[in-house]
Amino acid sequence: MVTWKGTRKSLTIFLFLFPTMLGILVFNVYPIVLNTYISFTNRNKFRPKPDCEVFLTGLLDPLCWPQFRQNAQGGLGSPYRLADPLFANYQALLGKLFSADALMALGKILLVFAPLVGAVYVNRRFDREIDRPISSGMVWLIAVLLVVGLAYVLSIRAAFNQLMSTGPFIVVVLRTILFVAIRVPLTFVFGLALALILNDTRLKGKTFFRVALFVPWGASSVAILMALVWQFFFRQQGTINQLLAQIGIQGPIWLQNPVSAFGVVVLADLWFSYPFFMVAILGALQSIPVELYEAAEVDGANWWVQLQRITLPLIRPAVLPATVLTSITAFQMFGTAYAITAGGPLAGADTPGATEFVMVYAYRQIYQLQNYGRATAFAVLIFIMLFLATLYSLRITRITKGAYES
Amino acid sequence: MIRKTPVGVRILQYTFLVIAVIFALYPVWFALLASGRSGGRLYTLSLPGMFFPVDWSFENYRFMLFERPYLTWLTNSFKVASITTVASLVVCTSAAFALSRFRFKGREFFLIFLLAISTFPGILSLVAIAQVLTAIGLFGKHLGLILAFTSATLVFCTWNLKGYFDTIPIDLEEAAQIDGTTPVQAFFLIALPLARPALAVTAILAFMTGWGDFIFSSVLVPAPDTVKLAVPALYSLANSVSVPWGQFAAGAVIVVIPTVLVYLALNRYFEAGLTVGGVKG
Repeated sequence: MVTWKGTRKSLTIFLFLFPTMLGILVFNVYPIVLNTYISFTNRNKFRPKPDCEVFLTGLLDPLCWPQFRQNAQGGLGSPYRLADPLFANYQALLGKLFSADALMALGKILLVFAPLVGAVYVNRRFDREIDRPISSGMVWLIAVLLVVGLAYVLSIRAAFNQLMSTGPFIVVVLRTILFVAIRVPLTFVFGLALALILNDTRLKGKTFFRVALFVPWGASSVAILMALVWQFFFRQQGTINQLLAQIGIQGPIWLQNPVSAFGVVVLADLWFSYPFFMVAILGALQSIPVELYEAAEVDGANWWVQLQRITLPLIRPAVLPATVLTSITAFQMFGTAYAITAGGPLAGADTPGATEFVMVYAYRQIYQLQNYGRATAFAVLIFIMLFLATLYSLRITRITKGAYES
Repeated sequence: MIRKTPVGVRILQYTFLVIAVIFALYPVWFALLASGRSGGRLYTLSLPGMFFPVDWSFENYRFMLFERPYLTWLTNSFKVASITTVASLVVCTSAAFALSRFRFKGREFFLIFLLAISTFPGILSLVAIAQVLTAIGLFGKHLGLILAFTSATLVFCTWNLKGYFDTIPIDLEEAAQIDGTTPVQAFFLIALPLARPALAVTAILAFMTGWGDFIFSSVLVPAPDTVKLAVPALYSLANSVSVPWGQFAAGAVIVVIPTVLVYLALNRYFEAGLTVGGVKG
């Protein structure tokens, strides 16, 4: 460690951290504060201006600060005020959730998925024993059967529809969770399959495949342009439909159908994100000592058993944080969906479209509808969710790091 | 020794790999093909033209570069992205140095605080950022955009560099201090050159923040044409029906291909970065 002490040390630390702290304060902390404040006002297209007489507005809105006042834009519109009631924006987003029926529906849906959580715990308990009474596949099968049974008994469809009618927040969040739940496992399996094949040292042309399969990662930093290419494939007159026309099939209008539009977004996002998993898993695979497989071979374990008992448990510490991280980024995915469908196909004026995931919804609320009050309330709710998810992921990462080191 | 892979399995593996490679490369290849097809119509690709270059020409590139303000947009993007890179490296290196080489009260808290703050979605803080920039008179100017980009990279790049600095043994610097340098000099003369791989990755990612960004630049620098950045300008081109797709594709290729090449060149660093620190997914 550095040997400096006292004032000199504090001063050095302060000087070196100062630019970062300033940047974080002005461009991260302050926006969060202002956002939270706006979420309690009725600011929108018709009320864009601050009313500097109101104490908190005068304090928080930079356009009210004396030295900056001349920079405020003039024009039409009246000033925004505190919403009445104060939580009006939050109520518009999820107000109906707090009725008895809706809470009941939410409870039912959570109950239906409970067996899956149970399966994880049962498996974990069994894993500690030397002879498992039931194989993990069996536990999962029972859990899935339970889910289906419960869904049928509790008439889950009705509960689901009930929940979806409580306001845009639940609709958008559930749809995004569905997207994450499809996209992340798909990416994982695709990346795992590629990594397992590429990990074979005797495979010819390995370098070529590795480089070629890495390309989408490079393209993902200009995601919005490549997503437009994907959109072009699936337009009515696009590549896919022209191909289909060659064999005499009239292709559907992919992006007008909610289900196929969702599928196209998942496919395009899979393209952007699988290289990350492939590279992460490949790195983890290379750290597994080959002796383990040799010993398993001697014991007569086949490929599937080796994958289940050696490969997957040993890549877990490296892959689990990557998975959580990807889930959080997938939750915040914007470019792909916005470029391909712009949130559509739309069902009605005030209902979110089929691919209107959280960020697309927020973007449309702000920049197309200029519904600042509601969008910022939405942001606050999403922030709480993401914050908890990040804390959880930190915990996981720390646990797995411990497992690696000891 | 592990037994040999049976021929049947090998064939299956190669089939899967070839399909995956087609999936990986086709969109980029398609953009390349489309960019070479001239003609005014929106959809000009015939069936063979979808897979092989037919009548491929540089006409669209010439048009984009010399008859549209595309060169200006590219220059703007490059300028903003490079200044962002330099600024963010300077700021983050100094913060990462303090966080890695000193132990002080609130150090852990500061690191966790950075992570927690970064979970607030960038799209949404943009409303407030636009307002701050309007207030200080930088809205619609490149400098404002550079400030926003730089602070957007801060959290990731501080964490990444700090993680890498931690892996460089401090003994070397302590030896230098015995020879009479100050801790700061010791760090910058000895540890920093050793951290070149991490600096390279961080620089590339900071550059890409500016180069590939759509939302920040389209909101903070909306007009006029002379100050626009390449990606948002291209995006609005692609969505206007009157512009042939080939021209958009030519523009996209100019932006995308260098990006892909840089990533491929640094691919080893990324793989190392994944195991050491953590690179965005």
